[in-house]
Amino acid sequence: MSKNLILENLSKHYGSLIAVNNVNLEIQPGEFLCFLGPSGCGKTTILRMITGFEEITSGKILYDGVVINDIIPQKREFGIVFQSYALFPNMTVSQNVAFGLKMRKVPQKVIDTRVDEILGLIGLRGWESHYPSQLSGGQQQRVALGRALAIKPKILLLDEPLSALDAKIRIRLRTVIKRLQEELGITLIYVTHDQEEALALADRVVVMRDGEFRQIGTPWEIYKKPQSSFIAGFVGISNFIAGKKENDRVRFGSRLFKVSGIDAVDGETVHLAIRPENIEALLPESLADGLIPSNIIETTVEVVNFLGSVVRVAFMLEDEEMLVDISEKEFERRNLKRGSKIRLYFPPDAFHVYKELFRKLI
Amino acid sequence: MPLNSSPSDAIERYPVSPLRMEVDRFVLPAVTLFITLLLFFFMLFPLFAILKLSFFKGGEFAVANFTLANFQKYFTTAYTVRALWHSLYVSIVTMIIVTVIIFFFAYAMTRTTIAGKGFFRNIIMMPLVAPSITQALALIYLFGRNGLITAHLIRTEWSIYGPIGIIISEVLYCLPHAYVILYTTLSAVDIRLDEAAESLGATPFKVFTRITLPSAKYGILSAAALTFNLTITDFGNPVVIGGDYNVLATEIYAQVTNLYRFDLGATISIILLVPSLMVFLFNYYISRKTFSMISGAAKPVIPPSRLLKKIGFTVFCSLISFGIILIFVIVVLGSFVKVWPYDWTLTFKHYHFPSIAGYSALWTSVWVSLVVGIVGAFITLVAAYVMETRKPLFKQFIYLLSVMPAAIPGLVMGLGYVLAFNKSYYFFYGTPWIVVINNIICNFTLGILSGISTLRNIDPSIEEASISLGGDTLRTFFKIIFPLSRVAFFQTFLYFFMRSMTTISAVIFLVSATVHLAAIEIIMLDNDGWTASANAMCTCIILIVLVVLGLLKIVSLKTGGRRTGLTAEV
Repeated sequence: MSKNLILENLSKHYGSLIAVNNVNLEIQPGEFLCFLGPSGCGKTTILRMITGFEEITSGKILYDGVVINDIIPQKREFGIVFQSYALFPNMTVSQNVAFGLKMRKVPQKVIDTRVDEILGLIGLRGWESHYPSQLSGGQQQRVALGRALAIKPKILLLDEPLSALDAKIRIRLRTVIKRLQEELGITLIYVTHDQEEALALADRVVVMRDGEFRQIGTPWEIYKKPQSSFIAGFVGISNFIAGKKENDRVRFGSRLFKVSGIDAVDGETVHLAIRPENIEALLPESLADGLIPSNIIETTVEVVNFLGSVVRVAFMLEDEEMLVDISEKEFERRNLKRGSKIRLYFPPDAFHVYKELFRKLI
Repeated sequence: MPLNSSPSDAIERYPVSPLRMEVDRFVLPAVTLFITLLLFFFMLFPLFAILKLSFFKGGEFAVANFTLANFQKYFTTAYTVRALWHSLYVSIVTMIIVTVIIFFFAYAMTRTTIAGKGFFRNIIMMPLVAPSITQALALIYLFGRNGLITAHLIRTEWSIYGPIGIIISEVLYCLPHAYVILYTTLSAVDIRLDEAAESLGATPFKVFTRITLPSAKYGILSAAALTFNLTITDFGNPVVIGGDYNVLATEIYAQVTNLYRFDLGATISIILLVPSLMVFLFNYYISRKTFSMISGAAKPVIPPSRLLKKIGFTVFCSLISFGIILIFVIVVLGSFVKVWPYDWTLTFKHYHFPSIAGYSALWTSVWVSLVVGIVGAFITLVAAYVMETRKPLFKQFIYLLSVMPAAIPGLVMGLGYVLAFNKSYYFFYGTPWIVVINNIICNFTLGILSGISTLRNIDPSIEEASISLGGDTLRTFFKIIFPLSRVAFFQTFLYFFMRSMTTISAVIFLVSATVHLAAIEIIMLDNDGWTASANAMCTCIILIVLVVLGLLKIVSLKTGGRRTGLTAEV
């Protein structure tokens, strides 16, 4: 069984560059934890410090209450799955899976049983004597997963394991990973820059930027209550509006939006984030009963992006391009197209209010 | 299926062996130390011996003994000073000729659609399988005092001895070395640049002078530098065809062997070391720039060349190839002809070597070269592996040590070995083992460079995967890194083997009454007037190298490795 893993005031500096800045986290046994962030945010560095491939500048990593900073990677018994699969090209599927056991001088009989078990688990029975080059990318990554699991690792660490794969296989392998983790009850640490992957898989997501943890929470919390404009923009999609606070409203150009829960003084500039699916498309004829009139706008469909179940429509609001999601059924029923007039409603409580705007993403 | 059930639990009882891991911590430092000591003792120490003898009175290392008397003597003796100018002259002329020829030859191979490229490519690499004395032997048979052409066809008094002979021999010897560099450069530069320029309306001449030439400039400089270095440090060709025209390399040999002036030999070695070191540093400097010029997206498809261009380049390449083939044909033929060029009866009598050593020299060369090949390829791969795993500062240090042998002329290193190890307690001195060591050290640079580039092509995650699964350094190396480097290992082996079979300058001072080597026998035989037997010995070396080359090709094809073409080796 996995035990808990603690990161305590963990930092990593490369000369003057701070890759990881004093982070703290406790990972529960059996938890599926995802480090999510743009490239260069330090997520892989944390993973490599946990595996022992990166020296720790300051702070501690504890496993089961014991500091493991100075324990060599071989003795940590953590399974690692690499982005590039890193299978041994000179060995067959079986030999790859058996490698860790061979290194431990496990009797051949036990190895054979174990390898067979693992191949069953990853659905590659019958491929024993194939070489990695004879497998598809998805199969290779499954072998890599099996190879890491064969040593019964205390923790399984995956570094962007799916980013080299096609979109379809990626989604299928996600399910494989999730199912394996749940069945084995193993602690799993997963690093990715793909927010969709993180939300779909993790019990808990740690959003990182510039070597720091920006938000830790369940996928729901991260998505529904992004604590900063960076997360609002990085996880999912948000429209951003900048305006000055006037009582319970925010002025944006000639408009005065009513916004719930603004934590700012009058006249202060605030940034509003609203997700495309939270903007409501009103019927032209419908009465705006109970709606706040100042939050209704009339505009024109500028660009139509058909995504399948929803249609993402770009429209202009005071010279700013914004997005709204309209369900495909609704879109078709109303016979919308480029140039169509639409009425949109911005519910006051759908806004997230931030004092700062993180620009780099756009 | 839950995994926590029976047989798998057994795994928990098998942790990695703590003892093995404890030992493992010392493996890399121990190997690093070994490599460092090896290079210190067998490279820096002999070099130091030369410096000591040339700068200190009586070779006694003390401040009071410091003297420039040896250099004064060198520069005030007209005969020895001439050697420096001679060396510079033949080297610069050879450099220019080789660079121009090879640029167009490589251009033909990479940028035109002429037929027979495979043939031309193999021919241009041929000089690598023969000692750098073959060219001179063949040219003398054609244009010497008793040459087939000079004495019998044209009946002229003129003969090829002297600078002209050295230059032609060196040109024919240096071609493959320069070719490898320019071929790599020209095939790496994106040909689409040319196409883009043409589509914008540039004339073919403009494209050539404005795009092709500038984009290959570092390759051209690098090939020129290498040619200069090969020529100025070569011993075999000038000693045979130079006549009275002394160069630095022959002068070192003459001072040491004929006059027993080790101090002057050491002094001239320093004088030879200076230009070759400068050129080496220059080459090192530009080779770092080459990289940025190479486009990763280079496209190998060449648009069909115009007919005139094809004819021109085919004729040109054929002429060069003819020159190289002619050398080999003459040497081989010369070894079978009764009395060149009077009696054309074929005979094996020149293969009954008149010298003491004869075939035993050949066998010594073969086993020494096999050992050099295997040990050299292995040590340099290990050194490259160790280097890549070290911290930057230390890595730089080992790297510097490892590339130094390329800057030291073989003759200088050989003399250094004599000066440093000619003591009774160095048990390996006077045995073939000193030749083995010398050959490994002299060719260390190329071995380690090839090792580094091979290892850099292996995904670092693969090594980490092994470590995370409990693999220690030794097993990671032998089970994963080594098998993955197999192709490069074969190529490095072949390089070491060929160099060791064919080198003259590195080992000329190391042969003795008890240690004979085939390549040196060629010089001895020629010196004693057994020219046809010298050709025979040369032919034997060529044959053996070709056989090993063929065997290796078969092995690497059988084991599924990539084709071991000659082009890839150097």
